[in-house]
Amino acid sequence: MKFLVVDDSATMRRIVVNSLQRIGHTDVVEAGDGAEALSKFDASIGFVITDWNMPNMSGTELARALRARDDAKSIPILMVTARSVKEDILAAMESGVNSYIVKPFTPQVLKEKIDGMQPAGAV
Amino acid sequence: MAPRRADELLYDSEATLRLVDNELVELRGQSSPSSCQPDDNTDAYIVKAPSAIAALPRMLQRANAEINNMLQTLRQSRSALEQSTVQKLQATHSKLREVTSATEDAATSILDALDRTQGLLDALDTEDAGKSERSVSLRAAMRDELFDMMGKLQFQDITSQQLAYASSILTDMETRLAQIAVIFDLSDLGMEPLPPEPLSGPVAFDPHASTKNADERQKVADELFSSACEPDKGDA
Repeated sequence: MKFLVVDDSATMRRIVVNSLQRIGHTDVVEAGDGAEALSKFDASIGFVITDWNMPNMSGTELARALRARDDAKSIPILMVTARSVKEDILAAMESGVNSYIVKPFTPQVLKEKIDGMQPAGAV
Repeated sequence: MAPRRADELLYDSEATLRLVDNELVELRGQSSPSSCQPDDNTDAYIVKAPSAIAALPRMLQRANAEINNMLQTLRQSRSALEQSTVQKLQATHSKLREVTSATEDAATSILDALDRTQGLLDALDTEDAGKSERSVSLRAAMRDELFDMMGKLQFQDITSQQLAYASSILTDMETRLAQIAVIFDLSDLGMEPLPPEPLSGPVAFDPHASTKNADERQKVADELFSSACEPDKGDA
């Protein structure tokens, strides 16, 4: 399965990508913000991991934009963000995010979330 | 003129105002209603307070001089505000950006070094293949440590958000100080307030970003998502 990792921090993108590789996911596309992610999104993408606070287009805006597309209505979206106020989490949920990881995270948490969001049989 | 310290200017302003106040008290004392009620008989009042009336032009002149001094002090305050405080805020803002940039560069260098170390371990795996179980387990342990170190570098993203938040506060203060400086501009000083420097660097940040209590905060997120019951979402 191909992952789309979206974060404006190059450091965070590398950490997420390395964590994905560590748990066996090596097919990854990267984007620096929501707008770039939308431009790179295609039918081959099977999972989106996105930050919230980004210039140009935030993670919640990206989630809304994806949910508005026919080819991304049901794609799993995992938000990885430093925001952890209850209202923010609810707002992320409302935007169409399926699951939520609070930074700093551990690879174990990332694996649990991905496993929990993947449809049965997905690789 | 060298900018004066803000507390000195404040002291001078207070002293000037106190002098003006003294003059007014003095004037009021010399034409005290207890010795004469002007409302009752204005002519009598003027007759009974000739010395006060005679002194009035001189007092007004002194008050005028004091007020002019005070205005000058306020002009200096404005100048000090612009030349010192605002510039210091801009310098601090710049320093914060520098710290963010330095930590990002350092994090990238560390990630590069970790990648190179992983590569060296891979090479050792190839060379020692099948030779020693002990060395295999040691290299696996080393990989775990390296991976853990890489995860710890998330601090850079979180602290950069904290610094961006601090920068935004400084920019806000700078704007407000510039507005105060405009209020102080009581006459044509021929000076324009320094425009606030536009915020650069990371513009998207979480003011609550923290490296602490991640487990507790994750638990809150998990509970909220669980309680929302999301059987339809994620079923790609």
